[in-house]
Amino acid sequence: MFGKIAGFELRYQLKSPVFWVVAVIFFLLAFAITTVSNFSIGLGPSDHRNGPYALARACIVFSLFYMFVTTAFVSNVVVRDDETGFGPILRATRLTKFDYLYGRFTGALLAAAISFLVVPAAIWLGSHMPWVDSELLGPNRWDAYLFAYGVVALPTLLLTSTMFFALATVTRSMMWTYVGVIAFLVVWVVANIALNKPEFEHAVALWEPLGGSAYGLISKYWTVSERNTVVPPLDGVLLFNRVFVLALSAVFLVAAHFGFRLQSPELSGKARKARRRQKRAEAAAETAPATLAGPVLPRFDGRWAWAQLVARTRLDMGQVFKSPAYFVLLALGLFNAAGSLWFATDDTGYGGSIYPLTRMLLNPLIGSFTLIPVIISIYYAGELVWRERDRKTHEIIDSTPVADWAFVAPKVAAISLVLISTLLVSVLAAVISQAAHGYFGFEFDKYLLWYVAPMSVSLVLTAVLAVFLQVLSPHKFVGWGLMVLYIVAGMTFSNLGWEHRLYNYGGGGLVGPMVPTSDINRLGKFWIGAWWVRVYWSAFAAGLVVLAYALWRRGTETRLWPRLRRLPQRLTGKAGLTFSAAIVVFVACGAFIYVNTNVWNPYRTRIDNEKWQADYEKTLLRFENTPQPKIVAMKLDVDLYPHDPRIDTKGVYTLENRSGQTLKEIHVRFDRDLKVKGLSIEGARSKQTFDRFNYRIFAFDTPMKPGERRMMSFITERAQKGFRNRGDDTRVVDNGTFIDNTEIAPMLGMSRDGLLQDRAKRRKYGLPPERRMPKLGDIASRQFNGLRHDADFVSSDITVTTDADQTPIAPGYEVSNQVQGDRRTARFVTEAPILPYLSIQSARYAVARDRYKGVDLAIYYDPHHPWNIERMKTGMKASLDYYQANFSPYQFRQLRFQEFPGYADFAQSFANTIPWSENLFFIAKYDDPEKIDMVTYVGAHEIGHQWWAHQVIGADQQGGTMLSETFSQYSALMVMKRMYGEAQIRKFLKFELNSYLRARGGDPLEEQPLARVENQPYIHYRKGSLVMYRLQHEVGEDTVNRALRKLIADHAFKGAPYPTTLDFLAALRAEVPADKQGLITDLFEKITLYDLKTKTATTRKLADGRFETTLTIEAKKLYAQGRGQESAAPLDEVMDVGLFSMEPGKKGFAPDKVLAFERRRIKSGTQTLTFVTKAAPRNAGVDPYNFVIDRNGDDNVAKVQMR
Amino acid sequence: MLIIENLTHVYANGVKALDEVNLTIPGGMYGLLGPNGAGKSTLMRTVATLQAPTSGHIRFGDIDVLKSPDQLRRTLGYLPQDFGVYPRVSAYDMLDHMAVLKGIADGKDRKAVVESLLNQVNLWDVRKKAIAGFSGGMRQRFGIAQALIGDPRLIIVDEPTAGLDPEERNRFLNLLAEIGENVVVILSTHIVEDVSDLCQAMAIICNGRIVKEGAPADLVRQLDGRIWKKVIDKTELEAAKDRYQVISTRLLGGRTVIHVLADQDPGAGFTPVEGGLEDVYFSTLSNTRRAA
Repeated sequence: MFGKIAGFELRYQLKSPVFWVVAVIFFLLAFAITTVSNFSIGLGPSDHRNGPYALARACIVFSLFYMFVTTAFVSNVVVRDDETGFGPILRATRLTKFDYLYGRFTGALLAAAISFLVVPAAIWLGSHMPWVDSELLGPNRWDAYLFAYGVVALPTLLLTSTMFFALATVTRSMMWTYVGVIAFLVVWVVANIALNKPEFEHAVALWEPLGGSAYGLISKYWTVSERNTVVPPLDGVLLFNRVFVLALSAVFLVAAHFGFRLQSPELSGKARKARRRQKRAEAAAETAPATLAGPVLPRFDGRWAWAQLVARTRLDMGQVFKSPAYFVLLALGLFNAAGSLWFATDDTGYGGSIYPLTRMLLNPLIGSFTLIPVIISIYYAGELVWRERDRKTHEIIDSTPVADWAFVAPKVAAISLVLISTLLVSVLAAVISQAAHGYFGFEFDKYLLWYVAPMSVSLVLTAVLAVFLQVLSPHKFVGWGLMVLYIVAGMTFSNLGWEHRLYNYGGGGLVGPMVPTSDINRLGKFWIGAWWVRVYWSAFAAGLVVLAYALWRRGTETRLWPRLRRLPQRLTGKAGLTFSAAIVVFVACGAFIYVNTNVWNPYRTRIDNEKWQADYEKTLLRFENTPQPKIVAMKLDVDLYPHDPRIDTKGVYTLENRSGQTLKEIHVRFDRDLKVKGLSIEGARSKQTFDRFNYRIFAFDTPMKPGERRMMSFITERAQKGFRNRGDDTRVVDNGTFIDNTEIAPMLGMSRDGLLQDRAKRRKYGLPPERRMPKLGDIASRQFNGLRHDADFVSSDITVTTDADQTPIAPGYEVSNQVQGDRRTARFVTEAPILPYLSIQSARYAVARDRYKGVDLAIYYDPHHPWNIERMKTGMKASLDYYQANFSPYQFRQLRFQEFPGYADFAQSFANTIPWSENLFFIAKYDDPEKIDMVTYVGAHEIGHQWWAHQVIGADQQGGTMLSETFSQYSALMVMKRMYGEAQIRKFLKFELNSYLRARGGDPLEEQPLARVENQPYIHYRKGSLVMYRLQHEVGEDTVNRALRKLIADHAFKGAPYPTTLDFLAALRAEVPADKQGLITDLFEKITLYDLKTKTATTRKLADGRFETTLTIEAKKLYAQGRGQESAAPLDEVMDVGLFSMEPGKKGFAPDKVLAFERRRIKSGTQTLTFVTKAAPRNAGVDPYNFVIDRNGDDNVAKVQMR
Repeated sequence: MLIIENLTHVYANGVKALDEVNLTIPGGMYGLLGPNGAGKSTLMRTVATLQAPTSGHIRFGDIDVLKSPDQLRRTLGYLPQDFGVYPRVSAYDMLDHMAVLKGIADGKDRKAVVESLLNQVNLWDVRKKAIAGFSGGMRQRFGIAQALIGDPRLIIVDEPTAGLDPEERNRFLNLLAEIGENVVVILSTHIVEDVSDLCQAMAIICNGRIVKEGAPADLVRQLDGRIWKKVIDKTELEAAKDRYQVISTRLLGGRTVIHVLADQDPGAGFTPVEGGLEDVYFSTLSNTRRAA
């Protein structure tokens, strides 16, 4: 009997639309992540899309979302019979409860398990698709598939099935079961956030029921080669977790048995409520009304037209608002949004937080919440258009004198109102989250204008399309299917390079054109193009509504053809007029948009741009090594018109031939879109012009001799008229212009800047997959610094004009500042030599000034962001103090921070001028002194660049960025150590260690030792911090600073030949004793990993009352190759060993908790160390503060057992 | 007066549901009698503007129904054979909604109309209950209530009594009987008693054609002296069918009563009976089927 019931259930589920819809959706999703590079589930750029890691990740992510599916399958088992009224018949049979309940559950579970097979199937199929980059695919390994499906996915599916099956037996309601799903997810996410700390990692991995954490722990620091080859054995944490999940499932199954009552369904909540409702209804019965005095005749007038519109809309809305599905969808959306809102106040990953500004909440909302309104509009378009038919009320309703428009319009209106209400609910969620963070600066204008209004229009457009397609379709599912196709097509179009907003319905994307936002510049002019596009598509949608009216399925005729035939006659009169008006607006807007996007501005797709980049490289990279003169002085006259936006530049360069050869020609390169209005070079004539690349070659009439100087002058214009299809200029804007000189002035010679980077794309265009840097020690490249090949240190003289109410800023000292009419003119001249990389900014700033030891400090900021100004000042002073004392004097008399709009998220150090994004810690919130002070850190890092880049800059070869970025990291760390002490630095380094180890696996190039870093941020920033901090710990801060001073003394402001990491290492090696030379090799010249572990720690009380503690320590050292292969290396180093009365790093840990701290020699293998202390230690271990790079730093310290 | 001319309807699958139907339906109650699948519902839906015929004309008064269906809908009350309801909507709310759709926009008027109709169809006490929970009879009474909103001049009720118990059926027919004389009411049914109880005029439809038309009394009179009955054993039925034109059979106390149509006394123990409308119906169907 059991088997038969299970078999019947399975067949039933296999025939249900849910099964097929889900199978199709998940197939498409899994297929997409395998074959489309834009879709991702957290894979690195070199991870094989069908590798073991990708398969496991896919199964983790999809089985999480499958919770909603398994619940549909298994709760249907319980709820179905009561809904269909078939229950009593079944209960009259001799079915046992066991067979009934578990037979059906088994069938439903099998159906869920079978439908999940589409995920591995789609990945397997995707791996055979010809367009997938072969480097992203590995061999299809059956054991990897089996692991992902059998070990990762199946137990999780079983757990969610049993859990919600048990819940369904108790609630007997689909809706309440889904509420349970939401509740579970909320608890799960909140717990994950709360327990997302290194100390809980292991416990979470053991007990987290969905299994993602267990796999995450195993694979945390995997390199690319591990991710692509390792199928982890089923043991340890993973085995425990999976067994725990199975046991938990069994518990739920038993619970289901107790929760389920076969005999008494009348007592279910629904029935009880219905009975109560009925009682109330009966109680409400009043005395019968009088019969009508006379007939009430209908009047078909304007008032009636309005009344029917209202009545239909109200009915349609009621059907949505009161349906359980709406509630479930909304809850799901809010759940998702709540998570994003929560994370939105995290800063960039160092455990801090930011103020929950409206702007910072809107993007997460758009990203996470708007999918739900899209689903709502698609789903309910089907439900509402087909509702009369589904409910069989169509004959009654359709034979009433209701006009056809009174069917279409209310359905569109109802869905629109529902959508707008969901948007408002999401705003409410955001406002609540702001209040919960104690932030009450609500900006409802921004919510309305930046979010609700544009989103509403875009969502209504989706709804109209969905309604229209439903009107055309012969069945609801066909209409839904067409909408899914539409969404898939939309994504595909942009991948194929069909990106024009004129033919992507709604303007492209799920929610139409997105506009960059900023508190400084608000919406700028970006909203204009977006709204033209919205009006354009709204006109189109209005036409669709008229067509939907004209083709409305009224009565019993459902075929499309007869409806199409009478279309012309239906499009007469008002309908025709409306339709024509819509078309006229549509065409007119379209024409205007076209003029903007294709005539006034070039229309370029991403693919066009890639192709341009590839051709640029193919055509011009051969000139890379053609010797060029260098710029020695720059004079720029820059006229800024922020509103237009436009920049007119006139400039003069003084050039000098430092190449040592006689130069016959000079190559001049301009930014792609810069209009060159004039260019003249002393004694040279235009020889060849590459218009497409804005690249010009001039021949000297008389060749330029070594050491000779000549002048070059130019006039350029950078402007944007109207709006672009994509990529409106975010550099020159109404308030907050931030531009650098390479965007408005020429460069000399060809460089590698702006080449195509992505390896897969490079291969696609027939380019070598990578262009590597010159090797460390290369001679030729020492002539050039990493910033610009066409100049060394220069002097500059910049005159900026801008709107009178704005403050212009450029490197150099302001020698004049005048207002004439509505224009302001300011001139900035340098005294010390600077690198020719200049920023020019202009905005309406508030200014905070200070003067410190002969340096003028200034912070130019937006008045909305006043929170961290004092902190920045303090950081400036502390940085200047440390750097001047330990490195060299500061070369300028002024130091300035300038906030710029959040169109980018960085801070950048130009000479005495540091532009800093509004997104980056300007809005950081420091109410917890335990948190890392990232404002000071970023400021100190950028000020560090005034030495490490603006005094000493590395040659453009391997290791170059170590001399700028790593040393700036070190500088900032030393400032921070002075201000906050070692404990906070250790906290910071823990983040650095984690991001270094995580990023190693995703490097598309290959990992380099620090001294050979090829501009790899995870190495020169993250590993750089760790290396330099350990270095100063081992050899002393003074020693390190002596070496750095030597570098400055030898190379500051000197120009070519530029220093390399070899110069620094030589200086360093000269300073450190013999026993530390190996350390320097390990830190800078090799990729070195340690594995330190305190296996046991025991203590016993000695006769004299002191305690003797014995530690058993296992130690290992490994050298890694660039792609992750490791080999053991002998370890024999002196390391910190500490005994503590409290675990280091915990809240409240202080120096008095250190009972003993000694340097002991640690060798490869197991060893025993003994200590005697006055008090009994609680925790003890080797390298307790995590100075070395160890993938499991948490087992360095162990709890001490009393013996 | 409703005039139907040469109405033909062929479904997409080739089934000819209506075949050159011509009918002139005067005011008062008009019965349209026919077996299941005869084309009654197709005809009703076509008249109710729910589907367009393949060819033909329909006129109601001076309204060309096919050209301007909206004109007809303004004066139409339609109770379909099978209709559903919206979930979670009460009788009162639904009737109120229908009243808006039917042109009663004024709130006070509508309240009066809805309340009086609810009272009239005896649903006053349950007006706040969801219609989804109504019994068949209650649901049909709700159906007639919505059809009566706005005093329509053409009322179409399609198979309204199917599945109702005798008491409910009586109650329903009484409601119909109250409708005024100058309104055209088309009652489509396969139950002969419905027509004989209520209608002054009728037509019989079979295989998409009108096969008989007239006043029930006239039609019954045409059968005077041509219906004979005999009580036989079940075993004799096949033989009798071969020999006579058997128009109906029915069981009585375990034996079979057959009615045959014959112009002369067929002898063999047949006795004459006074024909009823049922005999008219069955003899017409029998003749039609023989002809086919």
